[in-house]
Amino acid sequence: MWSEKHRPQSISEMVGNEEARAAIVEWFAKWKKGTKPLLLVGPPGIGKTTIANLSAKQFGYDMIGLNASDVRSKAQINDILSPVLGNVSVLGTPMIFVDEVDGIHGRSDYGGTEALINILKEPTVPMILAANSDSSDKMKSIKKVTKSIVFRPIPPRLLRLYLENIIKKEGAKISPGSVIKVIDESRGDIRSMINMTQSMVTGFNPSTEKSFETLNIEDGINAFFKSNTLDEARIVLYSMQIDPREKIIAFYSSIVTSRISNDDMQNMLQVVSEADILYGKIMKNQEWRLLRYLDAILIKLYKKDTSIRYNKFNLSWPLLNRLRWDGKNIKAFATVMAKQMHISRSTFGTFYLPYLLFCLKNKQFNFPLEESFGELVEKEMELIK
Amino acid sequence: MSWRKIPMKFPGTCIVCNEKIQINEIGLWAKGLGVKHEKCAEVKELKCGVCGGPAGCQQCEFIENCDLEKVSQICICKKCFDQKNSFDNYQESIKKQFHILNH
Repeated sequence: MWSEKHRPQSISEMVGNEEARAAIVEWFAKWKKGTKPLLLVGPPGIGKTTIANLSAKQFGYDMIGLNASDVRSKAQINDILSPVLGNVSVLGTPMIFVDEVDGIHGRSDYGGTEALINILKEPTVPMILAANSDSSDKMKSIKKVTKSIVFRPIPPRLLRLYLENIIKKEGAKISPGSVIKVIDESRGDIRSMINMTQSMVTGFNPSTEKSFETLNIEDGINAFFKSNTLDEARIVLYSMQIDPREKIIAFYSSIVTSRISNDDMQNMLQVVSEADILYGKIMKNQEWRLLRYLDAILIKLYKKDTSIRYNKFNLSWPLLNRLRWDGKNIKAFATVMAKQMHISRSTFGTFYLPYLLFCLKNKQFNFPLEESFGELVEKEMELIK
Repeated sequence: MSWRKIPMKFPGTCIVCNEKIQINEIGLWAKGLGVKHEKCAEVKELKCGVCGGPAGCQQCEFIENCDLEKVSQICICKKCFDQKNSFDNYQESIKKQFHILNH
């Protein structure tokens, strides 16, 4: 993917936020035990994680990356960080990077913030934290013990300079109008901007020229199965920023309602099942860092020239129609019959109706039925084997 | 719409920065719009990272989608943008301005 291929190799290769970058380099150059950790604040996709990675590389540190889900409780923090903070020589020269610290809040915080603050007060290794916003109360206490560096959105023309350099390196051609459109739509998110451009250049160009993020799930699933190459499918999949549960369900319902061979169906359902198990693990232990592997599993669903298209419901249309219209009639029938038999409607539907239909079919007895239910009963009797 | 420079008779709130404008302070007033600080009335321009001059934001193709107050304050002007190797020029200039990035 272009966003990986053209990732800056050093801090000086990045664009925008020049003063912030210089401040980070200076902080690293002057770092000694006890130096206040850094808190990088800014919107997603403008290089906070990239600069942490590059700084570690440039200054010879081994970066230990954590995110909010790793630091929810005191025990988790101590388990992960104590060996690093206490035994530096064994673990080389570690540097700790905690991403999305503003994500630990409310009920998800089991003492994590407090434990983290205690560590931040006396750092023995360089520590960098990143947050999208620093306005919450929890962030106020973190801000007190850190040095804040604000990352601002990058001016769009500078983004254009960066993007056109990538396009030039790739030997691709894209109209200036499309470049401007991509930049406007990415709203300063560099990763999303590069992904969108690659999608356009490699042939997948949604009719609206909108980013995948703004496409609904239907367009995303259809684009995935219509992709010409695995890479294209991967871009579509990675760019579908929707709830993972929704993503799995959408793939499941689209697959089970499509006309594909039994072997393909079996393989695909196996993949969906793997994805579901992973999601179950994430939810059970709140290990959100595992989420990054979800797309790596779902990409196995890609098969060229498959007829699968998005379907919201996991039942076929004929069955859905039957459930809707016949279900309504059965409900009405059960209401009438339940009154006559002095039982509940659900008891009638579950226990009485099958026997009633069976008796009627075998002409065991003649039951006076309202005319309007005749057709329904006929239809149901036909279904009894 | 014309903005009139007036010494404030009453305290007001600047429509740009939302800060108070005190009595006797100079403010710019327009009927039906309100008041703003003299400083806030200046047209904001980003700086060109290559030539060091103004980036020419008012003529920029992205003017409608660029929040000049919020974005990183170094950009590139049209002239420097149109030059050959503009990206390399930008990087070189930034390295010169921020020596520490070469660390």
